[in-house]
Amino acid sequence: MRRIVIVLTACVVLGCFLMLQAPWVFGHTPLCSCWDNEDGTVTCEGGFSDGSSGTGIAMRVVDKKSGKVLVEGKMDEDSEFTFDKPDMPYKVQYDAGPGHLVEIDGDDITE
Amino acid sequence: MRKTGLILLSLLVVVLVFSVPAFAHFQLIYTEESALEKGEEVDLKLVFTHPFEAGHTMDMGMPLEFGVVHKEKKKDLRSKLTPIMFESLTNKGKAYEASYKLRGMGDYIFYVIPEPYYEGSEDIYIQQITKVILNVAGAPTDWDAEIELPVEIVPLDKPYGLWAGNVFRGIVKVNGKPVPYCEIEVEYLNHDIVGNKFSKTEKVEAPQDAFVTLTIKANKDGEFTFGIPCAGWWGFAALGAGGDLTYEGKELSQDAVIWVQAKEMKKFFGQIQNERE
Repeated sequence: MRRIVIVLTACVVLGCFLMLQAPWVFGHTPLCSCWDNEDGTVTCEGGFSDGSSGTGIAMRVVDKKSGKVLVEGKMDEDSEFTFDKPDMPYKVQYDAGPGHLVEIDGDDITE
Repeated sequence: MRKTGLILLSLLVVVLVFSVPAFAHFQLIYTEESALEKGEEVDLKLVFTHPFEAGHTMDMGMPLEFGVVHKEKKKDLRSKLTPIMFESLTNKGKAYEASYKLRGMGDYIFYVIPEPYYEGSEDIYIQQITKVILNVAGAPTDWDAEIELPVEIVPLDKPYGLWAGNVFRGIVKVNGKPVPYCEIEVEYLNHDIVGNKFSKTEKVEAPQDAFVTLTIKANKDGEFTFGIPCAGWWGFAALGAGGDLTYEGKELSQDAVIWVQAKEMKKFFGQIQNERE
């Protein structure tokens, strides 16, 4: 019985920790916007619909045809991610967890 | 007898002239769209006019302040202002325009502190301190912030995220303190703005003068609520929010103005259906 209580308590503590760490579990919409810096690089900014930051969210730049990952990283402390613009058609993925993937087509990223 | 007749006729003319309904002056910061998908260059027009009737446009002087607040940072944009002549349905008036590139997600609060305007018919000066809030990509950052204007309407609802039929709520403030029972005039931008003029086509016909400028009042805490009946731009002007002020020896009405944009929900139902088909 005591063991069950300890396990349940641990689950609740872990659950609370995860909820505090991951704003998307509250159902806020992930948001991402990118722009071409016109110097061969692209910057993306991420966040959530409640205004919370996207710092630490996984970012991927993938080949539009093959899906191969070209660049991988995370949103920085300003909730931004800058990468070298690929020579091939590409997509940007802002991955805020299962069911919360924002994809932006490179063709839609303008100055 | 003839003299008496002339006097009576003169009096009648005076009464008629001064009984023409005085519709509300509104300082406008106009742009076409307040909720943007992504960062882009936006065109802004600063016009002091009568938005429901597309009526007389007053001459603006160079604004004392014009800027933008984004992520709590204020930026002076006065150097971006270019004078234009804006054409109403009855005249042309001096106004200003500016272009500004929005880069990055979030809210952009554009504000103007105009030079006081002398209104001869009332022998007072009017200064309408105005703001409009644009958003990029849906991320909220500053829309509910007080930006330390002498007078301002602080929104309680996102001014760019309104459906027609929602309410818009705000608090009228002077130097950060609520203004109780402030009178607020509300007007609909009833004519599209095309280039530097009003379109001749009116969207709605007022059944009576009380529907041209709607008047509401704030409560004891300076809060007000307005139900938005249709899509488009709506202006709110809190009259004399600045209190008893004078300018060049005359009364100054320092008003706080905010513009909000509502969208017709049915229009977007149609889009989903079209995409499914």
